[in-house]
Amino acid sequence: MSKPAAGGSFSASIGGFRISLDFSVDAGQVLVLFGSSGAGKTTALRTIAGLARPESGRIEIAGRTVFADEAGEPPAWVPPHLRRVGYVTQQNHLFPHLTLSQNIAYGLPERRGDSARQRVSHLVRRLQLEGLEDRRVSQLSGGQQQRTALARALAPSPDLLLLDEPFSSLDMELRRTLGAELRSAIRELNIPVIMVTHSREEALALGDTVQIIDAGRTVAQGPPLSVLEQPGQGQVARLVGVENLLNMRIPARLPQDGTMVCEAGERSLETPLADGYAVGDTVTVGIRASDIILATGPLPQSSARNTWSGVVSAVDLRPPGYEVALDCAGTLLRCHITGASLEAMNISSGQPLWAIFKASSCFLLSE
Amino acid sequence: MMMFKSAANGNRIASLGALAPAGVVATVVYVLFIGLPIMALLVRAGQQEGFLAGLTGPLVLQALRLTVITSVISLAVVVVIGTPFALLLARRGPTSRLLRVIDTFVELPIVLPPVVAGVAMLMAFGRNGLLGPALASVGISLPFTTVAVVFAQIFVAAPFYIRAARIGFAGVDPAYEEVSQTLGVSPWQTFWRLTLPMSRPSLLTGATLAWARAVSEFGATIMFAGNLTGRTQTMPLAIMTTMESSLGAALALAALMLAMSALALALLSVLVRRRAESSP
Repeated sequence: MSKPAAGGSFSASIGGFRISLDFSVDAGQVLVLFGSSGAGKTTALRTIAGLARPESGRIEIAGRTVFADEAGEPPAWVPPHLRRVGYVTQQNHLFPHLTLSQNIAYGLPERRGDSARQRVSHLVRRLQLEGLEDRRVSQLSGGQQQRTALARALAPSPDLLLLDEPFSSLDMELRRTLGAELRSAIRELNIPVIMVTHSREEALALGDTVQIIDAGRTVAQGPPLSVLEQPGQGQVARLVGVENLLNMRIPARLPQDGTMVCEAGERSLETPLADGYAVGDTVTVGIRASDIILATGPLPQSSARNTWSGVVSAVDLRPPGYEVALDCAGTLLRCHITGASLEAMNISSGQPLWAIFKASSCFLLSE
Repeated sequence: MMMFKSAANGNRIASLGALAPAGVVATVVYVLFIGLPIMALLVRAGQQEGFLAGLTGPLVLQALRLTVITSVISLAVVVVIGTPFALLLARRGPTSRLLRVIDTFVELPIVLPPVVAGVAMLMAFGRNGLLGPALASVGISLPFTTVAVVFAQIFVAAPFYIRAARIGFAGVDPAYEEVSQTLGVSPWQTFWRLTLPMSRPSLLTGATLAWARAVSEFGATIMFAGNLTGRTQTMPLAIMTTMESSLGAALALAALMLAMSALALALLSVLVRRRAESSP
């Protein structure tokens, strides 16, 4: 494994808010800093960009130490304009007095020369902004502004790209297309990327690694699927929005099946067998709403270990689909389905339904 | 949508409609009040014997030359000193108590009677003033020199520029300046390429107001610089002086100043509007 293209650890205290971060990201990889607003994600990006100064620690970008303040070595500080870090802010901050192509050329050393013109037209083509070169920022749509901001940040060939909620101002469809474009652009550029988001979908779609930030600290990190979909800690599960967190008791372990039985009230389910849990223990079981299948009757035969019957207590719009709350003998189960399924099954309040989910979709949480 | 549009166009019939006649009357009174004297000045100037002779006479030309030179120098000093000062007020003012206090006093010269400013400058730089002996010891005497004219103009005109510039700079979100620096542009270059163009309308407005104020400066000049033809007698002073001897020259000067003021206002509106159109 080669040296990370950017990494470091630092502690900063800005406006009475403390943040400690330990990060490392390789070229062509995307590190996602995930957390609710106010968790300190933006502060972390600003610190890496050199717009805020940490108290202690060390930050390295492309083998250069841009900040160091550690015991036993001389302090180092590289100002933001010499860090070679591309930073796309949440509001884009495109310069309103310039045209689209002038915005992209802004950070190029000789912005009126031939090489600058080539660079701008390459980025314009790459990000599908052809024909808009002479438009003012105010004449661009949200998606065009977003792409222009990205092109502007990429134009000077930065060593590290920082993205702060890059899709927050866009609608769902644009998010998808831009997300795919961004992903291929990052692979092609082969530079490390740090992206801040509070959207699970964005983190899953773009991240190679996820760090969950809460109150200025990293509470979990790892591959997006394991951290975001089946987190091991109750705190993380709440932060990433696991819809079903059930307090249960273990009446039996089934080593021959590789599962354990957990029960709450009249209902029980099977989870993967885990060490460290004994019969009689109480546990928190997490189930993602999107991992549950709804059916109008019990499946005649299926590999899924868990089937609960219940009554629909509520249906709420939860883009891109719907969330159905199923009352299963007092235990509420939240399930995500598409609008098409909702219509086809003609789901309404009070209707009896069956929830079917695999044992492997149930994960145990420690506090 | 249409409803909003028509409301915005002033079709809110019920909104204080009863007051409309009062507004019309007030507008007519005001326009007459301002317009009549200006018309009278122009008409009278046109009829006045010796107007054209006055316009090209040495007294008028001297005063015009002195006024243009001193006001341009004053404006240059105000811009050079006032720009970094206004930027500091805009960026650090909100968090610094000292700067907030200074900010309050920046506008003092606007409300201070110019004559008082003249007396105050005499007390500071005059022969017997605070700094007078020190200046005299190195052979400098400010009062009743062209430099004193510039001093007086800077004193009264600077706040107009500093205030407008401060508002202009405060209107530029520092986040733009941060993004500019992450693009590899130094803070100094960022100021030239970003902050300055983005606040240009405010700076132009402030500079125009400051220049106009410098041109019209009278009270502080006559107290601190005196009324010496060719050295300290700017156009406003020359008008007062010639009113007694030659009404023709006085009217020529007055018409000239009126033309300068109108020109400055027209130029400003063209510059600001062109900017506003090109960067909406």
